[in-house]
Amino acid sequence: MDRPECREEERPYELWLCSFPGMGNRQMTKLAELCGSAREAYYAGTDKWGQVLREKQVEGLKRFTEGWEPQREWERLENAGIRFVTLKDRAYPGRLRQIPDAPYGLFFRGSLPEERYPAVAVVGARDCSRYGYYVAEKLGETLGRNGVIVVSGMARGIDGISQRAALDAGGVSCGVLGCGVDICYPGENRELYQRLARDGCLVSSYPPGTPALARNFPPRNRIVSGLADAVVVVEAREKSGTLITVDMALEQGREVYAVPGRITDPLSEGCNRLIRQGAVPLSDPGELLSELCGSPRQGPDEPEEGCPAWLPEKLRALYDALEVTPKTVEEIRESLPAGFAESGGKLTADLMRLCLEDLAVQVSPGCFCGKFR
Amino acid sequence: MFSTIYAGALRGISAYLVSVEVDIAAGLPSFAMVGSLSCEVRESRERVCVALRNAGFALPPKRITVNLSPADRRKEGTAFDLAIGVGVLDSLGYFAGEAARDTLFLGELGLDGEIKKVRGVLPIVREAAARGIRQCIVPMENAAEGAAIPGVAVRGAREIRQVLDFLRAETDAEREKVMPRCEGREQTADDTAFEGEPDFSQVSGQETARRAAEIAAAGFHNLLMIGPPGAGKSMIAKRIPGILPLLGREEKLEVTAVASVAGLTGEEMPIVTRRPFQSPHHTVTQAAMTGGGSTPKPGVISLAHRGVLFLDELPEFRREVLDSLRQPLEERQVHISRSCGSVTYPSDFMLVCAMNPCPCGYYPDRERCRCGEPKVRKYLGRVSGPILDRIDLCVELRPVDVTSLRGGGGESSRQIRERVLGARKLQEQRFAGTGYRFNADIDAADLERFCPLGREERECLEQLYHARQLSARSYHRIWRVARTIADLEGAEHIRTEHLLEASFYRPVREYWG
Repeated sequence: MDRPECREEERPYELWLCSFPGMGNRQMTKLAELCGSAREAYYAGTDKWGQVLREKQVEGLKRFTEGWEPQREWERLENAGIRFVTLKDRAYPGRLRQIPDAPYGLFFRGSLPEERYPAVAVVGARDCSRYGYYVAEKLGETLGRNGVIVVSGMARGIDGISQRAALDAGGVSCGVLGCGVDICYPGENRELYQRLARDGCLVSSYPPGTPALARNFPPRNRIVSGLADAVVVVEAREKSGTLITVDMALEQGREVYAVPGRITDPLSEGCNRLIRQGAVPLSDPGELLSELCGSPRQGPDEPEEGCPAWLPEKLRALYDALEVTPKTVEEIRESLPAGFAESGGKLTADLMRLCLEDLAVQVSPGCFCGKFR
Repeated sequence: MFSTIYAGALRGISAYLVSVEVDIAAGLPSFAMVGSLSCEVRESRERVCVALRNAGFALPPKRITVNLSPADRRKEGTAFDLAIGVGVLDSLGYFAGEAARDTLFLGELGLDGEIKKVRGVLPIVREAAARGIRQCIVPMENAAEGAAIPGVAVRGAREIRQVLDFLRAETDAEREKVMPRCEGREQTADDTAFEGEPDFSQVSGQETARRAAEIAAAGFHNLLMIGPPGAGKSMIAKRIPGILPLLGREEKLEVTAVASVAGLTGEEMPIVTRRPFQSPHHTVTQAAMTGGGSTPKPGVISLAHRGVLFLDELPEFRREVLDSLRQPLEERQVHISRSCGSVTYPSDFMLVCAMNPCPCGYYPDRERCRCGEPKVRKYLGRVSGPILDRIDLCVELRPVDVTSLRGGGGESSRQIRERVLGARKLQEQRFAGTGYRFNADIDAADLERFCPLGREERECLEQLYHARQLSARSYHRIWRVARTIADLEGAEHIRTEHLLEASFYRPVREYWG
């Protein structure tokens, strides 16, 4: 690694190298090494480039370079509050550096995950079930409270839920994007996007302004598993993009955990198959913690378990009848012990009382699930 | 010779009297009609001339002038034919002018002198009675409809010859023989009123939805049902008129007036006795929904006045059609402005909607539904917030399982109706002397007066307001629904459990995104 002041001069040219979309990570590294540095590569001209790149790429890079002013682009990046590291920087995440074909440069907002803290990637289906929602939330919360960094893709469903829970619990989370870090995709996660930029980290190997294209996501998944020590799959269908992350994780030598589900549930088919193939079934977030940290660590403000003691017996029975998966009012009535069954109106009133006490959630007009701590 | 005969015309669902002035004088033979007439009124000239000739009255070759007064209002429809014909006969001296005094004539003439049915008889007869007209001669088919108005003699005529015989009669007995006075029939007893209505006992399972339908019927609240195809949403909606309280006398006249203006009344149904049930297809236009046309006609929402407006597949309706319901839902009437003037139609209906939770219909059943989360959100989002805000009760239906199908249905409509009637009685007592009929009608400002809350109840409502992030409008809606739930129970005061149950039916904010 070079001296800091030299590094500063190099940066605009490294940005140029990483901003050209038609080049692989290996080619970037090779070109920089061949020429001595990114800056020299910038001034080297087509002959030198041709030793590493194919003819078409050289053409593309030439055209790209004509409209590119390294200093101006660098200022623009700095003004946008986006930071940039390359494999040559000490700040480059160590875990990611070790993976095969590591990205040459990383764009980020916030602060990159620190090496001394363990990191876990929590990934899963976008259209998750209420069960997945609950597990992801619980997992994110436990990890966040115990100082484990939650790495994920900030997608809808499992990704966003676990990251939000980690931040809520006062933890750190890192969102890896398949577009430029200046773009919030998906749009509905805007709040999470802003929180990650402030309290966690947003990372992408794509230069700012890159739209969220489908082909950007498999390489993104590689960074998700690369930034983590272990990968937990919460919910995945038989054919799911999440399984790409798992393949990458295995290639990178990461431990893979899968949350088991019911064998009839299409949203758990992927997870159950992973377990069959040798993934570690994750039944308790505490186990994962002790694997990662040696001993189970309990945060200082672990909330108490169960429902409050003052709850009348009738409501307690009702609370016990609730589950993490949504149940219709009719199903709840059927599962109540004899003697507690009530007529329609009274039962819904009691359920609403539980909701007011924050012990239950009305997830849809006719369904409730319990809130467990 | 000059004569004046009364007829009537419609303006919205109210009416005004028109005097038909006929003058026959010497001059070049002609038949001129004036008084701001539309083309169908103008054509009346040909109908009247031919009808009179075929009935055996030859028109002399003289100059005939007809004026419909007030002459500055545009006249439409064919109901002036009879009055014009009678006016011509009067001017020709076929009967003593006295005989047609204080009498109103309505009807369309056929070329053979037959009198055919017309629209709007009930509102016109009502206006006539209020203006001191003693008797109305209307088409036979509309006679029973007009006879519902007290204080005026309504006679049904079949042809113009019969009308002339009546006007020429010298004694009351003779008059009565030629054209008997039509007596208003007091309509059907309670038991037969619901004959042929589908019954709630045919609905299997769906306890929550049945309960919501009962509350909706008891307090005339708006209801939204969400569920997969085949869960029984339309089935429940179609059974709601069968558990609503019967129409009161005044309500019957209101509903009949709208039907009459729309031309739906006739010999088979002179007076509307059942609560209307309107279920327009989702391709309906805004004009058909709220009423429209260059001279506005009542729309579906006015035809559903005092009854049920059922919108099946709610998100499939055009956005502007749904949004046009907002003002009528709040004000319970609809104003339609056109260049020829503005009219107001009543539209106090109970809105019942049904919808699938997603485009394929099976969300959240993940084994059958592959709709992505954004797709589901987008589908739900087609129902705009302001419409949701006006829904009092929102329920979710789940597919029925086979066992409950085999077990047959639950309570019959008659049992439910009894409870509803009990709640209705309490509301009648509560609202005696005010304009309100149902709990759903109460203005926010009057809630405090009619539905006072205790301290504990008020705290509960405020807690709900914060916890569920309610709008002021839905805050008041919970209050009203709680009153209805208490009424169904026969409770004098609203208790917290009533408020809590009422809040269960609020559209869930998280669900609607």
